Amino acid sequence: MEKSGSIDSLGSKRSSSRQPSVDSLSSTSTSRSDRSAQAKPPFAMSSESVAASAELSPEFRVKPKPAAKQVLRDSDKEEPQLLPNETVQDRAQDVTYFCPFIGALRGTVTVTNYRLFFRCMDREPSFVLDLPLGVVSRVEKIGSASNRGDVSYGLVCKDMRNLRFAHKQMEDTLRKSIFEVLVKFAFPVSNGLQIYAYEYGQVFPENGWKVYDALSEYKRQGIPNESWRITKVNDHYEVCDTYPSTLAVPVNIPDEELKRVAAYRAKGRMPVLSWIHPESQATVARCSQPMVGVNGKRSKEDEKYLQAIMDANAQSHKLFIFDARPSVNAAANKMKGGGYESEDAYQNAELVFLDIHNIHVMRESLRKLKDVVYPNIEDSHWLSNLESTHWLEHIKLILAGALRIADKVESGKTSVVVHCSDGWDRTGQLTSLAMLMLDSYYRTVRGFEVLLEKEWLSFGHRFQLRVGHGDKNHTDADRSPVFVQFIDCVWQLTRQFPAAFEFNEYFLVTILDHLYSCLFGTFLCNSEQQRLKEEIPKRTVSLWSYINSQLEEFTNPFYVNYSNHVLFPVVGLRHLELWVGYYIRWNPRMRPQEPVHQRHKELLAKRAELQKRVDELQREVTNRSASSSSERAGSPTRSITPVQTFV
Amino acid sequence: MLTGSKTTFKVRQMLPDIKERMLSQSGVHARSRDVFGLRCLPGECVLQRAVMVRKKLTAREGRGWVSGTLFCTHFRVAFVPQDSPKPDDNADPVLLGDHDVALASIEKVVVVGPNRTKLVTPNSSLKFTPEELVLYCKDLQVICFLFDRLTPDAQVIEITYTIAKTYQPLKPGSVLSFQNAALGSVEMKQFLSNRRRNTHMNWFESALDWEQELERCGATGWRVSSVNDRFEMSTSLSRSIAVPQKVLDTELKKSFAHFNEGRIPRWCWRHPRGSDLLRMASFQNNIYHEKDDIRNLEMILFGCQASLCVVVELGEELPSPADVQLAHSRLRALCLGDISTSVSVPDDKWLSTLESTHWLDYTRACLRKASEVACLLRGGHLTVALQEADDRDMGCVVSSLVQVMCDPHCRTQHGFQSLVQKEWVVAGHRFYSRINYHRDNDKEEAPVFLLFLDCVWQLLSQYPSRFQLTDDFLLALHDSIHLPLFSSFLANCQRERCKRSQNLGQSYTPVNGWRDMDSSSDPSDPPLPSVWDWSLQYSKHRRDRFTQPVPPTPPLQPLLNGNLNTNPDTHRLTDTIPGSVFLLSRGIFSCPANLLPWRGGGGGSSGVYKKSHRRAASSENVPGLERLLKAWALAEFPQGLTSTSGPQGPLDPYEPLLPLLMGPCMGLWKECYLRGALHAQAFSHPISANHPHPVERLAREVQQLKDELALVSTGTDTSPPAKMAEPRRADTNLNQNTNNGTFLFPAARPQSASAPRAAPRAAAPPTSTNHHTSRGPPPASAPPSRHGHKDNGGNKHTFLFGHPSVAEARPDQHHYPAPNNAKLPKSNGSSIAS
Repeated sequence: MEKSGSIDSLGSKRSSSRQPSVDSLSSTSTSRSDRSAQAKPPFAMSSESVAASAELSPEFRVKPKPAAKQVLRDSDKEEPQLLPNETVQDRAQDVTYFCPFIGALRGTVTVTNYRLFFRCMDREPSFVLDLPLGVVSRVEKIGSASNRGDVSYGLVCKDMRNLRFAHKQMEDTLRKSIFEVLVKFAFPVSNGLQIYAYEYGQVFPENGWKVYDALSEYKRQGIPNESWRITKVNDHYEVCDTYPSTLAVPVNIPDEELKRVAAYRAKGRMPVLSWIHPESQATVARCSQPMVGVNGKRSKEDEKYLQAIMDANAQSHKLFIFDARPSVNAAANKMKGGGYESEDAYQNAELVFLDIHNIHVMRESLRKLKDVVYPNIEDSHWLSNLESTHWLEHIKLILAGALRIADKVESGKTSVVVHCSDGWDRTGQLTSLAMLMLDSYYRTVRGFEVLLEKEWLSFGHRFQLRVGHGDKNHTDADRSPVFVQFIDCVWQLTRQFPAAFEFNEYFLVTILDHLYSCLFGTFLCNSEQQRLKEEIPKRTVSLWSYINSQLEEFTNPFYVNYSNHVLFPVVGLRHLELWVGYYIRWNPRMRPQEPVHQRHKELLAKRAELQKRVDELQREVTNRSASSSSERAGSPTRSITPVQTFV
Repeated sequence: MLTGSKTTFKVRQMLPDIKERMLSQSGVHARSRDVFGLRCLPGECVLQRAVMVRKKLTAREGRGWVSGTLFCTHFRVAFVPQDSPKPDDNADPVLLGDHDVALASIEKVVVVGPNRTKLVTPNSSLKFTPEELVLYCKDLQVICFLFDRLTPDAQVIEITYTIAKTYQPLKPGSVLSFQNAALGSVEMKQFLSNRRRNTHMNWFESALDWEQELERCGATGWRVSSVNDRFEMSTSLSRSIAVPQKVLDTELKKSFAHFNEGRIPRWCWRHPRGSDLLRMASFQNNIYHEKDDIRNLEMILFGCQASLCVVVELGEELPSPADVQLAHSRLRALCLGDISTSVSVPDDKWLSTLESTHWLDYTRACLRKASEVACLLRGGHLTVALQEADDRDMGCVVSSLVQVMCDPHCRTQHGFQSLVQKEWVVAGHRFYSRINYHRDNDKEEAPVFLLFLDCVWQLLSQYPSRFQLTDDFLLALHDSIHLPLFSSFLANCQRERCKRSQNLGQSYTPVNGWRDMDSSSDPSDPPLPSVWDWSLQYSKHRRDRFTQPVPPTPPLQPLLNGNLNTNPDTHRLTDTIPGSVFLLSRGIFSCPANLLPWRGGGGGSSGVYKKSHRRAASSENVPGLERLLKAWALAEFPQGLTSTSGPQGPLDPYEPLLPLLMGPCMGLWKECYLRGALHAQAFSHPISANHPHPVERLAREVQQLKDELALVSTGTDTSPPAKMAEPRRADTNLNQNTNNGTFLFPAARPQSASAPRAAPRAAAPPTSTNHHTSRGPPPASAPPSRHGHKDNGGNKHTFLFGHPSVAEARPDQHHYPAPNNAKLPKSNGSSIAS
């Protein structure tokens, strides 16, 4: 483990008894429910989330009793189970939480440097709200409307909910309200504090920082080969500070020329390889917009470079350039020095606009969606309200774009270049979705982690800016749910191909929860360079450490490894659905009716049991018939074979 | 209405002509029943065929294309894939193959040529050679055939004309000629009349059937009355009705006049907690109530519950048949995406257009009403009477939905079929008018039954593991509605159905030798089969998909038999003043003065009150009732955290399946309505990765393994090969007794009868496996036949709904033939496509 938090140091902490040590996590003697109860606290977002995601967190169904008992035992202490280096900052009694579904609840609030913890003891069972502070987008003091001296606070959250609290006006006017304390720790960056991820020292049996290694990923794809090479030109992030240090480029373009190509592309993000087709050698390359400007500036090097990308694929004499933007926006970018490739300058290249809107449109769309789903849903106008948010339409455009890319590469055997303006939002969505459709490796848990590390983290999707970790400036125009949208698209794929993905819905929800929680270092910072500078891998824990240490929670029991099988989803709006399990999970009325996962597990267990019995019987029959006549063994043996080919 | 001998005659006249044409085309093969791989029905002739045609497969079939030969007979458009197995000539005829569509289901024929599309009518002429033939069907299927360059142009044009000429839309009489085409041949008639009815379901046609149902539900205090045996009391009611035991037939007779169409309150179902579900038409108001009448009416209405009756008014909150019709036609228009008129809803308006059909609103309204009723019944010991003006539409929907929600038996295939018999077919839902087969009565047309199927699908999609039937079954039923072939749907009430079958001299045996003499229909009309005769309609592998191979987890506790009361809420209701009647409307209980017309009003009737020992209902019980409804609201609305621990306790099998009704919870039945979304697939790659759904596949595998077990165990212990030497055999038997007898046999037995277990009853709770194992026949023995007599003792109920035999329980090895010639993008097709 690279992080200092060791078992010994944990032992000295007052909350150490609650922490899973390496031993207890890996030991088989620990019962399953205990394990998950221990591993759970940092991850259960709140009691409401428990209710909503019951379908996803199997231990609440399989063994609900221990879980319930756990809560009751905890409730005696009125304290959350603290994580390593998590310290209580303030506690207040008699705070009212206005739950939009249950009503006003009176209880105790505890604020630590990681979370807000509310517990209401009046109810049976007691009500618990456990909220990582990273989720809070804004805290507003709502004027004390009542004359009884209540002060009310509204917490706007990044994960599709708003919370409202109230407590009595402090008699001691000098004393700070607990919510003022909360503001300090909810926005550590703005208050000169450290994000909790740097303090969290949990040790997991697996080190998630080792999941992705650029060179071995390129090697898996067969790079370097006769047409592509690995370049170290960006080793010190001098050519492009938002790109990774390891890049794959066409063989016949020397590093010096690469620099000139980079100069012609916005932010120096030159076209580099994302994925190569193992058979046809058609490639997916990504970059930012060319700096064409109003004068239609051209770059011989860039033209030659794209020609080299095309030539690297012998199967096709054409290159498709996918510009993710609507053509109007692309043209408007010329005023700012950007623009798009003219087909005059790029012979044999065809430019396609994919009509995907920018981050501001997406942010607005998700805001509207939140209005429609939280807290109340208007039944009679649900569908038209949903339509008016245009969220699904945006999802459709992104999926349709990725589908076109995948189709060109797979069916057309043509190489493609994808870009938008800067090449770190829409471009990442498109390339990673296309790669997910094209390459079954990315549909495994580890492969998906690699995909995120590669296409999103190393290629500089600006997570810090888009999410605004620990930053109180909630109106920042750079914030946008680009990554959420991508995960939504992945979910749509899993809906259409339920057996093609090794991970389940809970995996996707967990990733999104920790996009905001600031518990892990994975989504901190904006680029590989920054992450290196901040020593993120040394100072924080990777989300993949947590996930890979309890894979059984996140695996899809129906996964079939369709290697080399390309997924072509249906992208019409008629075939897309709202991801209810994420966007409306706080509404207890949306609780799924049936523990479907449990039935799946039962079926799998039943099948294993029966298969075993069939095998036994068969052996018996074979033995018996071998001793008498051979014809009897024939039929059962033949009839058994198709069974084994499944799943 | 069913007469039409003239048309029949016409068709008969046509036949020789058709045969000639066929002879001229297919030459030597004409005599054979197997023409070019098509398995014809007896008497069915191939009018035209086209070779080298490709059929577009739906998402359910695995997408992509399959090539083969296209046929048009005078009954159907058939398609035989290239390398489909040779049909077995000795097998029983199946009306529709897996790729076939009946001509009567076709609504529109559209051809697509080079850059144009054309709607083809019987009179239209083609000026181009079609490249694509699209059949729009009434059941929302859209079937698309692609003519390859290899298809001879002449064949393409000929078959298009033939289909257009033969399918005959909206032509009166076409239904009859269609029936004749399908079932009219001598062989077919004979085949049909020798056909045995499904004995695993209750047909509710005789008094005996009703008695069985009363017994199944543990409904004591009720009896079956044959007072309407000649349909003299009510023409639309069934022959047998269940009424309170204490009401004599002579008393009963006087009450018919007080209700619209004579549809008096009848018993439908008893909740195990002792509540009864009744349904009735509205009261006839302009009638004088004699004192005796009133006593009888009250007795009938209150049934066996002395205290409390809730009248649930169905008219106000539920859609009218006209609403249903409008919504459905909008939904059709939206989902079919008609290419001939190129009026297709743009994708970005899809959601709001779907909303504006109101179809989902109506589904929700029905489910909400049924949930309310289910919650009331759960309260125990009250009577809930569903009241609708004519009691023939929404009464059917709500009463059957309540039973699907509350009674696990109704969620099995046979139980559901019995339910539809009871609440729809026999209860007098006007299928004939509502479906409007003849297209001669548009005013009455309303697919109320399809609305009900959609509601059931919503329940199924929210509680997938609580149903034994599958959505394939619902889909098959949905499609069969559009085939005008089934006696179940080709009449408006039991009386019409009886008339027809009487005249045909069918196997229908009246209970007391009564016969309707005024025969009016042509005795040569083909006998119509019941819709439940699935083996006539679908191939075995489609039928195998009707039920879940692994049945829902069996109820953990035996049925409470209707009298055991474990409900804590009840004591609140028992202090109710006897004879209270409340009206439930818009979720509010009230007791309006004129609720029961004989009670309301002036002094005259108040005297009657005292006589009948009833007092005016006070509203003090309303809170008790409201609490019952609130229980639903809370169930919809879990309290805090630990309500997620729901599954832990023993699951009460009769706890109603209350659906979530919020906007995002109401789904669209895409497998049904969007089957025709041809534009769906952007690229032509088949996607087989998602078919069938892995859960389904897994469940099937479990079943397969169970069957293998049964096979292996029977192979070892019950059917030793004859060749075997005597000592060897003894050895086997010995083995069976010591080892197999204890291990193999019990292991194999419950699996072979894995499907819906017997309807529970008190005396013999069916949940105990041992009980069954000891009594059940050995796996390889003949299927247990139904013991039709009442005095057959305890076995009767076990067999009524039990699974017939090992052989029938076993599904096919695979569910869809892998389209071998369809392109797979890359290799390893076998594991994906199967």
